[in-house]
Amino acid sequence: MQVALDGPWSPLLGRLSLAAIPYSNPILVSTFAVVVVLGIVIVGAALRYGKVGYIWREWLTSVDHKKIGVMYIILGLVMLFRGFIDGAMMRTQQLLADGPNSPGYLGAQHGYLPPYHFDQIYTAHGTLMLFFAATPLVAGLGNLIVPLQIGARDMAFPYLNATSLWLTVSGAALCMISLFVGEFSNATWVGLMPFSEMPTNPGVGVDYWMWAFQLSSLGTTFNAINMIATIVKMRAPGMSWFRMPVYCWSSLTTNIIGLSIFPVVTVALTMLGIDRYCGTHFFTAGYGGNFMLYVNLFWIWGHPEVYFLMLPAFGLFSEIVPTFSNKALFGYPTMVAASFSIGGIGWVVWAHHFFTMGMGPALNGYFSAATMLVGIPTGVKAFNWLFTMYRGRITYATPMLWALIGLVLLLIGGLTGMMLSASVFDYTVHNSLFVVAHFHCMVLVIGAALFAGVTYWWPKVFGFKLDEKNGQMYFWTFVIASLLVFVPLFYLGFAGVTRRLDYIYNPALKPLLWVSEGGIGMYFVSLFYFGKMLYVSLRDQIPAAADSWGTGRTLEWLTHTPVPFYNFAVTPQINARDELAWRKAKGLEGVQPTQYVPIHLPNNTAVPVILGALATIFGFAMTWRIWWLSLASLLAIIVVVIIRSFDKNEGYILSAEDIARMENRIALASIVAEQPKRPALVQVEAH
Amino acid sequence: MSSHYNPLEHPEVQQGTTGRYIAAFLASAALMGGAYYASTQKLPFVEFVTMAAGLSLAALVSQLVLFFGLNVSQAQIWKGIALFLAVPLFIITIGMTVWAFSSLYARTMPMDGMVMSGQPTLLQ
Repeated sequence: MQVALDGPWSPLLGRLSLAAIPYSNPILVSTFAVVVVLGIVIVGAALRYGKVGYIWREWLTSVDHKKIGVMYIILGLVMLFRGFIDGAMMRTQQLLADGPNSPGYLGAQHGYLPPYHFDQIYTAHGTLMLFFAATPLVAGLGNLIVPLQIGARDMAFPYLNATSLWLTVSGAALCMISLFVGEFSNATWVGLMPFSEMPTNPGVGVDYWMWAFQLSSLGTTFNAINMIATIVKMRAPGMSWFRMPVYCWSSLTTNIIGLSIFPVVTVALTMLGIDRYCGTHFFTAGYGGNFMLYVNLFWIWGHPEVYFLMLPAFGLFSEIVPTFSNKALFGYPTMVAASFSIGGIGWVVWAHHFFTMGMGPALNGYFSAATMLVGIPTGVKAFNWLFTMYRGRITYATPMLWALIGLVLLLIGGLTGMMLSASVFDYTVHNSLFVVAHFHCMVLVIGAALFAGVTYWWPKVFGFKLDEKNGQMYFWTFVIASLLVFVPLFYLGFAGVTRRLDYIYNPALKPLLWVSEGGIGMYFVSLFYFGKMLYVSLRDQIPAAADSWGTGRTLEWLTHTPVPFYNFAVTPQINARDELAWRKAKGLEGVQPTQYVPIHLPNNTAVPVILGALATIFGFAMTWRIWWLSLASLLAIIVVVIIRSFDKNEGYILSAEDIARMENRIALASIVAEQPKRPALVQVEAH
Repeated sequence: MSSHYNPLEHPEVQQGTTGRYIAAFLASAALMGGAYYASTQKLPFVEFVTMAAGLSLAALVSQLVLFFGLNVSQAQIWKGIALFLAVPLFIITIGMTVWAFSSLYARTMPMDGMVMSGQPTLLQ
């Protein structure tokens, strides 16, 4: 059954050998050096300041939804940076490899990246940006905020929550390992078929991609189950369905989509794996197989996945726009209905990704019309945000600026999406840079929403705001960079430039390529301001109040800033849709409980970290076909899960006295937080 | 509250038994083996698809009944709703895929009556 391999194989190391280390590639060697230096700095700093135990006990083994959310976001930002570097390399290659007279460097005939390396870079760019940047950022914000907005202590299944995180990390780890051991897939982030099959792609790159994707999909599926159970079962007393914040509604819709679509891609990848490992022909062009079946399965997952990422962005806008307009959200019921409409329509339009397959005018007509329908609920949302701002007292703080540019990008991406939804138009620009520019506008909507969300809720999580001045510089440089990079791509697409080209055939296009490259330079400037914003904010740490922006409306702004590990000292009773706004109107926002009751909390556990590490080993061993290690790691995973299922640890009880003591201490600190300079907490306690 | 402190008392957990789990596993394995055998035979297209669909349905029912112990009781309400909500997705995905591919085949590689008997099987 096992497929014959191209190249050597040994029982001990499978396909792995010293030849798999790309030490002759100067780009990868220098990248490896940077990663090693960074690793030494981080580990050295942890050792120097004695933080290793703290990081292990308080973070890596944590089951607290807030810390898991923060770790998701850190993972997403790191992967976003790597994905951005990949993007910058792609744009630079196209600029340099422009026309037959363009010079070649580092072994390339034109530009500095040989085609095989270039192909791996765009595959890594798409894979990382979608699965390991956008998805963890969305999941991280959901983890952080949804339990706080519904008045819950934690997610419904804290241990499963940590497991979801570490499975996602294991997928990201496989992508990073592939940089320095072997290679990554060159078959695009969608896994072109039958190019991803063994006869046409015999290296380990596709296997790395497949296992990384598979593991992170499992993590996302578990997270979806957890989020749905949390929203359905753990809302505070009084929080009826229609008192729930719109962000929670969009999270619910998103995770229903996630739970229903990820099994499809799991099946598709499993079938591809059986093809590659056992020699079946599900997706080959002959022998009874059908490679378009893979494309069909992939996009049954892939298109709802767009809304899986987009709906949380809409939810974020729906929280930020009312706060900074100092008004209630306009059209709450229609917002909820629109979220479900988008989710539902998103499930029945997938074939617009392959209009050119040749399924005929009836099918193309149906999928065109269905795709256009998405514009209706999306338009409802856009108008609701505009009506929310209408006659509001708008504050142009950084989160609001991100939300506003998100709406502009939604307009550009949405209108070009409407153009592409017409199959006749799609035939003309299929697989061109026009499509690339369109969907980058859409993912930039998600990016804008995520930056808005991170800036908006940062003070709630860390207790101090991000520096506004540098935040705005970051915002403006990022916006200018995005326009410079992607507007030329619309024109290049019309000019006939297809996507994924390592060589541009027409030197006359050079000016546009230069503009796009200028945008990449501007992205580096924005990165500088992002770093400066973090540095200044961490240096100054100006304390923020519980309602950090002063016009918060929802429940998370009611509890302390930063949020204590038990979230709420007593479970809040919900009286209205915008609970904090309702309490402010009644003068009740400062009311403190007179007595506390014990709180049951889960203990931290190392099991999810161990499962993540074992999953990484399993993926690595399967990639390199080290069968004994694959079997051993799989057995170890099963044994760890069984041991965990017999664990009688039921968490611990936080006594009412302890809660009262901590609440008093936090109250003292928050009095100080209103002063311009914050003295040390010990001095306050001494009074 | 007791089910919170002892997960084994939860009604959904109580519905599973070792015997049912083993029976579900054996039934699934046997049906999968049957599907594998069918795929190695040179069956006419329609007959093959009908057989594969029938075996899939049998596998689904055996898992629902034996593995999940699905019934209409209050304790199973979320599983019941999840199953109910999954049905339209099944119809949409399978139905529209059949529609799309039948149209594709008719336009791009018409075969006499869509017969696969002359085609090699999956494992050849």
